[in-house]
Amino acid sequence: MSLIEILEGPLWKASATIFVVFAAFRLMMILFTGRRHARARPAGSPAAGALRAILGHFLPWRALLKNGKAWFVILAGYAFHVGLFVLLLFAAPHVEFIREKIVGLPWEPIPRWGFIVAAQFSFAGLIALWVRRFVDPVVRLISRPDDHIAAGLTFAVMLSGCMALGEQSTFLRGLHLGLVELWLVYFPFSSLMHTFTWPFSRGFTGAMAGRRGTRA
Amino acid sequence: MRIVLFAVLLGLFPGGVTGLLQAQENTAIISAEPGPPNTLGTRSDTEIWHDLRLGAGGLVNPSTGSPEGGVLINSEGWEWSKLRNPETSPVIRYGSWGLLGVLGALVLFFLVRGRIDHGADTGRRILRFRLDQRVIHWSVACVFVLMGLTGLAILFGRPFILPLIGKEAHSVLLTASMQAHNLFGPVFALFLLALFVKFLRGNFPAWVDVKWLLKGGGFFGGHAPAGRYNLGEKAWFWTAVLAGGALSVTGFIMLFPDYLATRDTIHLSELVHAIAALVMIGFSLGHIYLGTIGTRGTLGGMVDGHVDEAWAQAHHDQWLAEELGRSDSETAADPIPDAEVQEA
Repeated sequence: MSLIEILEGPLWKASATIFVVFAAFRLMMILFTGRRHARARPAGSPAAGALRAILGHFLPWRALLKNGKAWFVILAGYAFHVGLFVLLLFAAPHVEFIREKIVGLPWEPIPRWGFIVAAQFSFAGLIALWVRRFVDPVVRLISRPDDHIAAGLTFAVMLSGCMALGEQSTFLRGLHLGLVELWLVYFPFSSLMHTFTWPFSRGFTGAMAGRRGTRA
Repeated sequence: MRIVLFAVLLGLFPGGVTGLLQAQENTAIISAEPGPPNTLGTRSDTEIWHDLRLGAGGLVNPSTGSPEGGVLINSEGWEWSKLRNPETSPVIRYGSWGLLGVLGALVLFFLVRGRIDHGADTGRRILRFRLDQRVIHWSVACVFVLMGLTGLAILFGRPFILPLIGKEAHSVLLTASMQAHNLFGPVFALFLLALFVKFLRGNFPAWVDVKWLLKGGGFFGGHAPAGRYNLGEKAWFWTAVLAGGALSVTGFIMLFPDYLATRDTIHLSELVHAIAALVMIGFSLGHIYLGTIGTRGTLGGMVDGHVDEAWAQAHHDQWLAEELGRSDSETAADPIPDAEVQEA
């Protein structure tokens, strides 16, 4: 069995299994562990507070308009996440891989120029956000090694994917797939889990604030 | 006498044979049957071949609507292939020597001058670069390094890397480099535009630049006065903007050749692209040296944004005076002041 066959076969299955099992386990832990019931009489609606936080944080007007230092964080954040979402789910090679290995159903990929542009936005956003972790004293202080590993691994996955765009080299395809598998194994145990946990964390913070009659 | 006769025969013989063969060939051509209508059959028209070789248009049926659709041989391409040939290319030869020369000069300067030091720190720190400037600077730097490495692999790969790693590994390296280079090109152009906007202020020529130049920039001792940026930094800024702009424009031409250019424009773009890249990479080596090991206290200004007042006094005294004056009069009214004097 060649290295690429191992990467596309047993290693892919193993990494995908680790990803699914441990990500699901972590989500279950968050949802079912529960917390002590608050005894104080609520001053406002927790549900409304949660909803407001989940939706309202998509448009952080205060950060965008009033804090002149952080405008690019919003732009970079959107560029990175939207670009990555488009790239991951609608790039033709990914659509083909997902059809073949995961769901068995095809969907319409976007044209090649579309996912190239998405990748460019995503790279620009990721680079600006990761650089900020080093040059903003406050963000540098609160950044853990996990944050850098997560950003670095995501960058490596994207870069290897971009280098394999020619679809001419088995080595480059294997390199990309190998890094994707490493990323999948690291994912459930890292800050990358915010991909799934963001509605819960936003909602919880918003609900707590709503209960107290304030805004998150 | 026999020797002379032998030499004359030797000289005439090849000409005689060639002439005989040509005569037979001409007879064959003249006696050839004509081909289908609108063709010359097996007859040869030397004028057509001559014009084709020189890149004349309209001699063949254009299959596309492009301006070069009727051109069979691009004559300029012959010259271009010579310019690109790794063994004869002046771009590769002088470019590699130029970059090695810059590296050598920096090593020599470091050995002779050592690290430039501004003396004891005062402990008072002043904001030199805001957060958005720092993020944009390092974002450009990251993409520039990636573009530089992949670009150098493409330019110097055949003469320098291929003999070391072999054809197969070199082809993988080249396809990876080319894809990354093409994809990151527009990202570089975007960041460069942001850099231009964010760093333009303070980078226009001023009278103090002449004084700085006359003092040798303080590189060989003594104090050279400067404003927010000295002449060397201004030269680097405008080189980065102009060379980076040329790289971006020519890069886009090469990314979209069917829409933006003829073949000759693409050849010119490749040449300009390579030269601009070598100039920018060479200048950047000096910038990286002076910003890191060459001058104590400079790197901090671009990482956490602040520099010591002693550093500012030594390298940018006029800017320090302006900022301290501004700080005294405006800090109270400015929620995000350009100058934040801190006690360390």
